[in-house]
Amino acid sequence: MKRILIVEDEEALCLLYEEELSGEGYDVTTARDAEQALEILKGERFDLIVTDIRMPGRDGVELITQIMGLRKEIPIVINTAYQSYRDDFMTWAADAYVIKSSSLDELKARIRELLAR
Amino acid sequence: MTSPSELRKDAVSGRWVIIASDRSKRPDDFRPAKTAERPRVSSAFCPFCAGNEAKTPPQIFALAGPDDGSGRAPWRVRVVPNKFPAVSRGDAPARTKSGLFESMPGIGVHEVVIESPDHDREMADLPTDHIRDILTTYQARLQSLETEPQYAYVQLFKNKGMDAGASLSHPHTQIVALPIIPKRVKEEIYNSDRFFRKTGECLFCRALAEELGAGERIVLKNEHFAAFEPFASRFPFETRIFPLRHAPHFSGARPEELAALAETLSAVLSKLKALLGDPSYNLVLHQSPHPARARRHWPEIERIAHWYLEIIPVLTHVAGFEWGTGFYINPVVPESAAKFLRE
Repeated sequence: MKRILIVEDEEALCLLYEEELSGEGYDVTTARDAEQALEILKGERFDLIVTDIRMPGRDGVELITQIMGLRKEIPIVINTAYQSYRDDFMTWAADAYVIKSSSLDELKARIRELLAR
Repeated sequence: MTSPSELRKDAVSGRWVIIASDRSKRPDDFRPAKTAERPRVSSAFCPFCAGNEAKTPPQIFALAGPDDGSGRAPWRVRVVPNKFPAVSRGDAPARTKSGLFESMPGIGVHEVVIESPDHDREMADLPTDHIRDILTTYQARLQSLETEPQYAYVQLFKNKGMDAGASLSHPHTQIVALPIIPKRVKEEIYNSDRFFRKTGECLFCRALAEELGAGERIVLKNEHFAAFEPFASRFPFETRIFPLRHAPHFSGARPEELAALAETLSAVLSKLKALLGDPSYNLVLHQSPHPARARRHWPEIERIAHWYLEIIPVLTHVAGFEWGTGFYINPVVPESAAKFLRE
């Protein structure tokens, strides 16, 4: 079973992603901020990471650059409500950029594509 | 009573500027307080650095450098499409209009020129043959985009430093092709067209000739280029680099001109770096829109458009007065700025 780490500060969204992606057959772990995500990544391995950008403390862009220092090969999906981070070339550390929406179809499609690579 | 300021008009843009020299300050007092660049985290990941090519989209152009034996990077300059672009390639878009609300699909091209495999070597630090390779790369990409007439204007620009809008300190340039001719480009062409119909001359060639005649705002001149602080500079140390030969597009620059431009850029950027404390800056190409699109409005487009580079160090802030009026207040007299850079 493929393992996915979701980094999302909003509790309701965390629960939604966990439920929806578990329903797709993934083993889902959630972290509520970058610090927690990095702590989890010290002891566990994942096949893919989905991260929000605007979070308390370190933002998602800082988080993915930190992750690149640990494991460059891990696919990362940025999942944000904002288009504006497309201008930030540090987001190129990620493999996909998804705008949050009420439908999770695009997020699920990007995850499927990246895990199939 | 003598006025503490002077209003000046820029002939090219038609814009007025207030030159308000603060006499208590010297040009080098405009060295900016350094804004910290985003720190490189842990193992210093940067998507533009050599070794991280897999994190960029596949390259569309690259030039190899001289073999230094390190085998570190098989490229010296490379171009990739924007990984997460705000516009996407497509045919000429149809405009839709509902009353005053006009829109069209977001068609365009957004490419990134990675200027060097080295994260920390800015253009000012590179040897001139490397800068010439960057210019050759610009030219190749512009020539390619000019074969696609759905893109009415190709904008090339470089943001250096966070204060200039750069999100990453690894030296890079961006190229954006747009389906419309931007308003600022139109303003310059309108002014040049009006001047041409009155005098039969290119406005840019005349502006250059008058700057060379006056001499006091010239920073340097070689066989093919002149760098000067415009008479009505909006910002301290705003510098224009004009080719001496009339040409509407950068893509038409000759090899000897690219070599001379590399020397000119190297000299100007090194001076700005050394004398102004390595300021953030924007480097912007001004040139003709696509001739097939521009000829509809300006039949003489090849004679009235004249490409040039503009370098704007970020030393002051644009605020309410500038946004409201389109006037800019420049606290450094351009003649003083030019003298400071010359000496």
